[in-house]
Amino acid sequence: MNNIAAILRIGPDHRTGARHLSFLVLIAIIALVAFSSNLFLSPANLANLSSQIAPLLIAAVGQTLVILTGGLDISIGAVIGLVTGLIVLDAPQWQVVLLAIGASATIGLINGIGIAFLRVHPIIMTLSSMSFVQGLALLVRPVPGGTVPNWITASITGDIHGIPYSFLWIVGFSAIGGWLLYRTRLGLHFFALGGNASHAGLNGVRTRESTVAAYVLSSLFAAAAGFFLAGRIASGDANVGASYGLDTITAVALGGTQLSGGIGSLSGTIIGTVIVGVIGNGMNLTDVSAFLQTVIKGALLLAVVCVQRRKEIGL
Amino acid sequence: MSVLIAARAVSKNFGPVQALKNVDVAVEAGSVHAVTGENGAGKSTLMKMFAGVITPTTGSIEFKGRTVKIQSPLQALHMGISTVFQEFTLIPNLTVAENIFLGRAPRTGSGGIDYKKLNADASGALGHIGSRLRPTKLVQNLTVAEQQIVEIAKGVAADADVFIFDEPTAALNTADVSRLVALIRELKVRGKAILYISHRLEEIFELCDTVSVLKDGVHIATRPTVQLNEQSLVALMVGRELSDFFPPRAREIGTTILRVGDLVIDGAEPVTLELRRGEILGLAGLEGQGQREIVRALAGVIPASFAIFTKTGPSGEVVTLDASNGVPYLVGKGIGFVPEDRKGEGLFLDLTILENVALGPQLRSAPWRLAAKAKQMVTGLMQSMSIKARSPMTRAGALSGGNQQKVLIARWLASGVDVLLIEEPTRGVDVGAKSEIYKLLRKFVADGGAVLTLSRELPELIGLCDRILVVHEQKIVADVEAAETNEHAIIHSAIGTRQESTHSVAA
Amino acid sequence: MTVASDRIEPSLTARVWPAEFVRRLITLPPSYFLLAGVVAVTAATSPHLLRMNALLIFLRQAAPLGVAVIGQLLVMRARSIDLSIGGVFIMTNYLITSGMLSGYPTAMLIAVPILMGLVVGVANGVLVAWVRASAVIVTLGMTTILTGVVLYLSSGRPPGGVPMSLKALSAERILTIPLPVLVWTALAVLAALGLRFLVFGRFLAAVGDNPRAAVITGLPLARIVVAAHVLAGVLAAAGGVLHTAALGVGSVKFGPEIIMNSIAATILGGGTFGSGRGGVAGPFVAVVALAFMFAVLTVYGIQDPGKLMIQGLVIAVAAVIYGTRER
Repeated sequence: MNNIAAILRIGPDHRTGARHLSFLVLIAIIALVAFSSNLFLSPANLANLSSQIAPLLIAAVGQTLVILTGGLDISIGAVIGLVTGLIVLDAPQWQVVLLAIGASATIGLINGIGIAFLRVHPIIMTLSSMSFVQGLALLVRPVPGGTVPNWITASITGDIHGIPYSFLWIVGFSAIGGWLLYRTRLGLHFFALGGNASHAGLNGVRTRESTVAAYVLSSLFAAAAGFFLAGRIASGDANVGASYGLDTITAVALGGTQLSGGIGSLSGTIIGTVIVGVIGNGMNLTDVSAFLQTVIKGALLLAVVCVQRRKEIGL
Repeated sequence: MSVLIAARAVSKNFGPVQALKNVDVAVEAGSVHAVTGENGAGKSTLMKMFAGVITPTTGSIEFKGRTVKIQSPLQALHMGISTVFQEFTLIPNLTVAENIFLGRAPRTGSGGIDYKKLNADASGALGHIGSRLRPTKLVQNLTVAEQQIVEIAKGVAADADVFIFDEPTAALNTADVSRLVALIRELKVRGKAILYISHRLEEIFELCDTVSVLKDGVHIATRPTVQLNEQSLVALMVGRELSDFFPPRAREIGTTILRVGDLVIDGAEPVTLELRRGEILGLAGLEGQGQREIVRALAGVIPASFAIFTKTGPSGEVVTLDASNGVPYLVGKGIGFVPEDRKGEGLFLDLTILENVALGPQLRSAPWRLAAKAKQMVTGLMQSMSIKARSPMTRAGALSGGNQQKVLIARWLASGVDVLLIEEPTRGVDVGAKSEIYKLLRKFVADGGAVLTLSRELPELIGLCDRILVVHEQKIVADVEAAETNEHAIIHSAIGTRQESTHSVAA
Repeated sequence: MTVASDRIEPSLTARVWPAEFVRRLITLPPSYFLLAGVVAVTAATSPHLLRMNALLIFLRQAAPLGVAVIGQLLVMRARSIDLSIGGVFIMTNYLITSGMLSGYPTAMLIAVPILMGLVVGVANGVLVAWVRASAVIVTLGMTTILTGVVLYLSSGRPPGGVPMSLKALSAERILTIPLPVLVWTALAVLAALGLRFLVFGRFLAAVGDNPRAAVITGLPLARIVVAAHVLAGVLAAAGGVLHTAALGVGSVKFGPEIIMNSIAATILGGGTFGSGRGGVAGPFVAVVALAFMFAVLTVYGIQDPGKLMIQGLVIAVAAVIYGTRER
């Protein structure tokens, strides 16, 4: 029994936050949706669901890393838009991929340097980089269009033995995120930064470098999400990521991770993203207005955040 | 036996304040060496130099025979010097093992953290000091004593040769203390050098081989503990000059203004005391004995329960106070609180002197009202209190310590409270400003107010106050007239021993 | 409003006038420099844009954001943030254009949205100050809910137009100054006076400077934060009214930029979390500067992409320079 608890990281000796509550919410919502529509659990719908969730989840993994350090990355959506625009550029494949990855890493680097070395508040820094990058994205691709290379579209549509590729994307990037967070020194340092940055520094953690790493990783995960989205919408669109900045924060918060840093989990983020995805999917199936979905998302966010008792007032 | 670590002719200045003057202390391997002295003696400064938090202004630190420069606590640890600070540097949301090896966790072949080895090594280090704490527990779920064990384990895991403890028993109960004592003895047997900073004399005599006494930043003496007893040790520690820059005490004390009956904080013993108009009452005691909590409970900053808590107006009307209503309420009833940490808890450093002081009277008016013009009043106060600044529009953060303290007091003087609860009247304040502040407080009570103050500086407490209550283990153990007592007597009450002399002190 | 730090001079020598002047100049918020820069460039290259007529049109367009910014700076002063401004703008637009208030006097068209803003502000304030939830998340959730409700009720398609009476008010001029600009200026002046002369203003400054000291000093911290959020909600609604009146039609397309711009203007204006170094004037000038800058950029043919990039750069540079100056 103890071993199961240890593997699932349940219990007072884990810093997973309110993940257990989120899990209950997820179960409740799945039950509700499955009850309301017998199409929900059909393979076709589940494949669809998986494809809907994948980009948000991949981006949310990156956001989780940043939030755990006590920061926030609002520029994720702009990075996604930029990447889809870069992908449809008329240039040799390897150049395009390199450019997309390089650009994202650079954006993350700039965010990190501004926040860690120049002491700019994360909200302000990522807000300004979001604006800049969004402009850049519109410059690269003013109107949605262009052709997405075949290898990308192929890698997200289709399945292997009934398991959709999108699901493999999800599993793959979650695994990478999980390895980073739970198996490396860097991941431990992320938790340390969020727990008490000054003590972490006193104990030899390179706080500034670790902070920069968090933002670089966040942008890279956003880039990956951008690749997926480009494949799914089969074009480049600078605005396609517009809601992702706030949506990833929603997913992370819904998963029980605390915005103040240090407490939370990757699995929580997965749960949170699935909650958002299932709600959307369920509402589509039962023909509920897409707009009501946003209301529910917002209300859920408020509910989750009221549960996170904090000591101080403010951001 | 060889000297493992030593301070040679070390001096340390913090601006104009000289914390240490030419101090020589040498600690031998396989010994427990105490460093003691009254508050402000410099023990903490010396310890911080060994720990790598600060560096000497002049003089040097020697480690294993060589002169070294220790630039950070991590470097100290790498060299083999482990420090358990009074305030731990643990990270609450990390496990015991993760904290012990933070920054140097063992790796697997693929570059990730080898958690199995991490936990095993942590258990090893913990076992070395007789603890069976699970390395996978989160530090935030540990008791204070357990957290201390983790801090010690850090040093053991780093194979340190020198262990420094700063007031280690302040937050421990008796059982934990005996465990700690056993642990330290074990380290000593293994040839470690242990530096033990404390002013708990019983512990020094029980545990330590040698004791160095500091007084006012100067090294007074270093003796084997067997050559001393409590009397002689205290004699080495105290006896500072009582300056004559205190204003004369009150000639007559007025009627009771504050009556406190059965104040219970966090399950401690009930405390009863009385404060009278015209008097400055002091609360003396060693650190962490509960004096601060008493003052903060009266100010409404921490929760507590009162059987009786009343304030008597000038014409005799008695008002019952309910401290659970918090600070704004008590301010409205005329009780002001001056915290010790004036930069963190008292002043608004980016606001001007005028704004800081004007907050006092503004606290008693409703937020939607116009703020009364305060410039004249503040200028007047600045003059009468000798607050040296270019103008009332100077930022509070730009003032010297003494002037900042005066601004804080000015806020309350301007607000019309008649009871002042002060944690440290002159911490970090230069000599000239100290005497001015004492005069201010004297005038305040002479005009019908009352002051309850703490101070770590016993001479200050004796010089300033009319009456002193000594607090030991959250209880009031003595109530003396300041004019009739001295440092010796108070310290003896504070550490709970009897004084062998003709002075009788109510125990 | 507080002026940036004085330094203690050990003696009482008289101030050298130019040195004092220069020091004060350097400590002005970035928005003044931005405005000066934009005006200078325009004067050099297209002086005809500096005609009074054109300027007043810019200002009228900037008024809604300007009003919302006043609320944002109040809230940021209290170390909080209001991301619900966008949602309030959208809801206000819906209330006015959906026809549910048709047949009511014009005053109702203004009062009902303001009431809605008040309620939103109260909700935000209570959640941030008493439940102590994260301000970012709370106001984010609020904006999502408000936008979602409007989208749902209108099925994604903007319902209708703005009643003539309101449109007329927006076009109204008094002594050649557009009414919205007057409203904006009046509100800004009121806010500045309030911050300076009301006890609430003094409390807000203290709370932002050091919340812990505020509690120990006896300030009603929670109430002050709630009040800041309520004011922000009302001001956001007022901005929304101005915005809808100018827009003339129903629309749901404008939420996020308003939020972004309000934060940008506050930062450029010298405000940041917990400090109000630029007062109300700094952000006021920032809105003018930003509006002017974007208008001029449009004239030069720089479209959205360029504007966004410049906006991002401007905020970042301002935050770095102004932020590091405070250390």
